[in-house]
Amino acid sequence: MELFLQQLVNAIALGSVYSLAALGLTLVFGVLRIPNLAHGALYMIGAYVTYFALTSYGIPYIVAIGISAAVLALIGVIVERLVFHPLRNAPHTHHLIAAVGVLFFLQSGAQVLWGSEFREMPSPFTGIVNVFGLNIGQQRLVVIFASILVMVALYLFLKKTVPGQTIEAIEQDRTGASLVGIDANRVSMMTFAISAALAAIAASLVAPINLVFPTMGEALNLKVFAIIILGGLGSIPGAIVGGFALALAEVFSSTYISNAFSEAIGFLFLLVVLAVRPTGLFSKGA
Amino acid sequence: MLEVRDLSVRFGEFAALRGVSLTVEEGELVVVLGANGAGKSTLFRTINGLIKPASGEIDFCGEKIGGRPANAVVKAGIAQSAEGRHLFPELSVLKNLTLGAYLRRRDRAGIKKSLEEAYELFPILYEKRNDPAGSLSGGQQQMVAVGRALMAKPKLLILDEPSLGLAPLVSRQVLDAVVEINKTGIMVLLAEQNAKAALKIAHRGYVVENGEVILAGSKDELMDNDDVRRAYMGT
Repeated sequence: MELFLQQLVNAIALGSVYSLAALGLTLVFGVLRIPNLAHGALYMIGAYVTYFALTSYGIPYIVAIGISAAVLALIGVIVERLVFHPLRNAPHTHHLIAAVGVLFFLQSGAQVLWGSEFREMPSPFTGIVNVFGLNIGQQRLVVIFASILVMVALYLFLKKTVPGQTIEAIEQDRTGASLVGIDANRVSMMTFAISAALAAIAASLVAPINLVFPTMGEALNLKVFAIIILGGLGSIPGAIVGGFALALAEVFSSTYISNAFSEAIGFLFLLVVLAVRPTGLFSKGA
Repeated sequence: MLEVRDLSVRFGEFAALRGVSLTVEEGELVVVLGANGAGKSTLFRTINGLIKPASGEIDFCGEKIGGRPANAVVKAGIAQSAEGRHLFPELSVLKNLTLGAYLRRRDRAGIKKSLEEAYELFPILYEKRNDPAGSLSGGQQQMVAVGRALMAKPKLLILDEPSLGLAPLVSRQVLDAVVEINKTGIMVLLAEQNAKAALKIAHRGYVVENGEVILAGSKDELMDNDDVRRAYMGT
């Protein structure tokens, strides 16, 4: 029982990170219809920015995450302007190829600039907390609470503010959005900024548990794509539920079946869902 | 006023509009008649910036708006309830209407007033204000589309077949609302399948066939024209 609860907490922490990263990806897909394969690379850069803010400038961890989110928001806008905006009327395959290009560019860039060694990110939250007899690492609690906080903030932004509503409007009817005077360009940039910032926050939260290295985004890339396909492309609840579902499946299969199996389970899960419901769990039947 | 001069639109090899000219003067309600595929929707979508013209000019209140993107055309004062409605199906009626006022989003008092006016025009929308727009009936969705266009506080309202697919009673209700809107001083450019009903409320009209204006005239001229009667009124 104790093992079960311990692993449950681990799964929730992992799921929080998956959900945050998947939310960014699903937002970009919903607004721009771009499968942004460079998302994992933005996630990786986000981890490095936090790492250097912490180690080179001694900036406190939480502030460093905020800086990383801001820097990545800017990088997201630049990528949208430089790469995806010029392709906006091109066939979808071009978006895909361009995204892979950005992924390789950022990954190689990181390798050249910072080397390929694995770096350990120091976090001030190194203690262990005893909750109802369970020993939980402080960092995991930080991951869970920070993720929930960011998700609630994102939800309020999308539902309660005018800029957030423009994102929903474009997702639901692009022509309708332009007919009420919404500038799709502005919304595209804003969406990329939010998406990259979410990736940076997710990466910075999980980095002290895992490690920072140039290809850290690759495995995540596969997983977040599995998550948003599972949840329904463009769906926000789908990204959250999908993120937690994948984390639960991974953690418990490695605990009770085999460690070797845990990376594969997510994709097995995905195959089953796609066989039963090809449009994903939360799709609108489109 | 709106002035369209010698407007042509091409889809590849196909000439969808050929040298169309048309005006809407201050305070006017102008109707465009034509069969399905005659080019009415293409004309409206081009005025609204959803389609780029191949040649020709569109002037609106002293501004050259031809070829501008749709969001810039709305800014110039032209709102459209387009064919297919293009509502935001999962957002509430209230949010759909509020987004209609996107360009004057800082004018909170003005938006509140416009909302009240929209509800006054279509009382059912007030009852349904918290329902997702996609869950409404066709007629109610049409009212949301017209209401949303009005929320932009346009000088010119373009309505593409607002009564399409509606029950006769609901359709009359929508057309009555169009008259009310026009009476407040908003120019209206209307496309309508029901030629008789449309001419009854219009000041002037144009007949479009195969992407060309083949006839233009006042309400009475068109009503008395034999071709119009035969082709569009079945008499």
